[in-house]
Amino acid sequence: MSKAKSGEQPHYELLYLISNKFSEDEVKPIMEKVNALVTANGGEISLSEELGKKRLAYPIKGFRFGYYNLVEFDMMGENLAKLDRALRLMNEILRQQIVVKVLRTAQQIARDKKIAEKIAAKNVAAEKTAKEKVKERAKEKVDLKDLDEKLDKILETDDLL
Amino acid sequence: MEEAIRKGKQCFFCLNNVREIDYKDVNLLRRFINYYGKILPKKRTGTCSRHQRQLATAIKRARVMAILPFVNP
Repeated sequence: MSKAKSGEQPHYELLYLISNKFSEDEVKPIMEKVNALVTANGGEISLSEELGKKRLAYPIKGFRFGYYNLVEFDMMGENLAKLDRALRLMNEILRQQIVVKVLRTAQQIARDKKIAEKIAAKNVAAEKTAKEKVKERAKEKVDLKDLDEKLDKILETDDLL
Repeated sequence: MEEAIRKGKQCFFCLNNVREIDYKDVNLLRRFINYYGKILPKKRTGTCSRHQRQLATAIKRARVMAILPFVNP
């Protein structure tokens, strides 16, 4: 969440919620409208994605479902308040949230990939040992059964005393 | 839901090398709230302090966007 250096444009992520009173065909124009708003405020869009129709965790203005859309863009910080206000005034949008997103460099991504591979390998190894343990336990159970049978045989014989 | 976390007392995010917690990931965040929608303490989940702070903001952001509930009556 660190602030970008002065001069550089920080990267932002906008998630907004379109109400369910629009059909799926009507969502696209609203999306284009929002994207136009972002570019009008000096933003450079790098990603625009539809996350689809989802059930809301609680009803907003009587709507139980909504369309989530995601936009990522670079923009100067001063214009952010303007954009937020413009979005707030759009009737189609129920909720919107702009969050700073820290972009990772290619080097960092490569390093993360390596670590992820290591973790995956570790998990596989852990699973194997867990399976072996289960097998061992099963063997022990069999042993217990044998023991029981032996005990029964001993008890059945009359010359216990 | 909670048993899976309790087994290991190590921070889930440190183990999986998560740098920033995504507030849009419902299934992940659901593991760190209880039935009522309250954030579970790190004592319970084993999350480290650094990630617990990130997790708290992520859950609160998700609540604003109706991804997670504020309360579950």
